[in-house]
Formats: sequence, C-alpha cells, structure tokens
Amino acid sequence: MGEQRRWADVAIGDRLAGASFPLTVHRLVMAAGATRDFSAIHHNDRYARASGAPGMYANTGLLMGMWERVLREYVGLDGTIRAIRGFRLARFTVVGSLARVEGEVVGKEIRDGVPLVEIELRTVVDGTVTVGPGRAEVTLP
Amino acid sequence: MSTLNTDWRAAWEPLRARVGELVDPPEPRFGPDAVELGAVRRWLEPLEFDCALHRDADVARAHGWPDVIAPYTAVWTFVLPAMWEPGDDRPTYADAEPDTQPWRSGIGDDIFPDAPPTTGMFGTGVSMEFARPLHLGERVGAGPRRLVRCEPKETRVGRGAFITFDRHLVTGEGEEICRVEAQIYLYNPHGSGHG
Repeated sequence: MGEQRRWADVAIGDRLAGASFPLTVHRLVMAAGATRDFSAIHHNDRYARASGAPGMYANTGLLMGMWERVLREYVGLDGTIRAIRGFRLARFTVVGSLARVEGEVVGKEIRDGVPLVEIELRTVVDGTVTVGPGRAEVTLP
Repeated sequence: MSTLNTDWRAAWEPLRARVGELVDPPEPRFGPDAVELGAVRRWLEPLEFDCALHRDADVARAHGWPDVIAPYTAVWTFVLPAMWEPGDDRPTYADAEPDTQPWRSGIGDDIFPDAPPTTGMFGTGVSMEFARPLHLGERVGAGPRRLVRCEPKETRVGRGAFITFDRHLVTGEGEEICRVEAQIYLYNPHGSGHG
C-alpha cells in the first residue's frame, strides 16, 4: 500500500486504480470456502445452469470483497469505509470472465467534522456492468 | 391472465401480508466462530487482497484498532451458520448424487416463513452501513429480518418473488456494527415443474 492519500488532495472526477479478477473455477471454489457461501450456484456449473444462469457465478461476498479491495487500496491504512450502497447485482458475473472493478470520486464533503469522500463503483465484464453502479462512503485523513 | 398465472402470484400473498413485520425471532442468530486470523487470511486469499490491517496487530493498533480487523464486508461470512454441528442426528447429505445439497441451508436467509416452496435463490442487491469492522476474537450475530418488500415476478430464469429485508448485525456484547438492506430473488426455475 503506497503513500497515505489525504482528503485535501482528492478531487471529484479522480479515478481509482481499480483491479481485475480472472474468474476461474479455482478462484470461485476458493471464494466459496473463504466466504462460507456454499450455495451450489457458485461452485457447481451444472447446478447453476439448471437454475437458469449461464454458468456458475461469483458470490456476493467475493464481489463485495473486490469492491472493498479497490476501496482499501484507495483510502490506505488510515481510511475507513462507512457504507456501500446500491450494490446491485445486475447480471451474473460468471466463471470464465475477466471482471474489472472501476471507481470514480463523485463527491467530497466535511460532515460533522469528518472528511468524507463518495466513490461510485462498478464491476464490468466485456464492457457490460454486472454489479452496480453503487456508491461507497469513505473517510480519509 | 390464466388461472395458472394468477395461482403462482397468489401463493406469495401470505408473505406479502407480512411486509413491515419482523419475520424472525427477536434474538440475534450468531455465527459459529469468532473472527480468527486464519479465517481472515483465507477470506483475503481469493481476492489477492494485501492489507496489513488484516494480518498485523501492530499495524492495526498503530492505526487505532484494538487488534487485527476483518474486512468490513467479511462480516457476513462470520454470521453464516455451520453446515454440520455436533449432535446432528441427520446426515448432511441424503444420498451420493453429485448435485445433492445439504439439508441445512448454508445461507439461512433463503427461508421465509409463509413463503411458497422454491428451489432457486440469488442475491440481487445489498446496501451496508458500517459502524466499524470486526476485530479478532469478536463474534457477530444477525438480528431479525424486517420484511420491506415482496414483489412476485416472472423473470428470464423462473417464477418467484423479489424480497427485500433489512436487519442489524451485532457483536456478542450487543454492539451494533452494521445495518444491512438486502434483496434476494426466490424462484422456481422454468421447466422445474414448480409454480
């Protein structure tokens, strides 16, 4: 994690570095065990297809974790996360896809003495949004 | 609209009648384990998520936390129920078919009193307000779900209902650390022979 970002240095329109996640079967199985979301739709391709999905797909914990990693890399060790809102699972984020999390600063204010930044986030696969866009509220020193 | 089409919608009326009510017992349902360093490490692994706050107590304390903290969004992992518990008198799996599922729901939130039977479920949206993250040694429990909306709908994957609920997550000491509003879709896949 690099140098601590400070609220005063943030501008609306700043883009976060983001992160890419190749969604292999291996990663989804690791995520099922790690998050303890053992719903078969997230690790059993045949089961997922029978449920109407195009294939096994990333679970909510994994997808939210992708957002949190991108947020943490932006706010640094001194930052905190106050909220993640509108985390809308618009489409299945399926195995075999390259999921990329992107973010942009859409607001900043001092509220009750706390320096806040609002960040819009989305997960994109092949140019299509699969999760979001949602908004995170974070603090920075 | 045919009778068949209206019947599956009508099956959701008992749950729709409970909008605004708590649909669970009032006591929080706690996850089986306290937050542990190994569980946090494994949670980070599939994300390739490198942050010292989640592994190094000295770093975490230097930044104002009492110990290593779990990622904020990992809170749900520590609420999820065990798949098997000592004393269970029923085998986890009824047979050896590859797709046989455990009798016990691994999520818990896919079960609503007064809802018609369904076989499919996925999450469609979440919002979380965090008071703080969990730290090592804490347990977390989910308070009762309050039913916010129940909207029967036929979609590309099946017939069912979008269900929105909210709840509070609390530590073993009763401190509220997170408020969650979630929406799930409970459904029977097309061609499954159900509603």
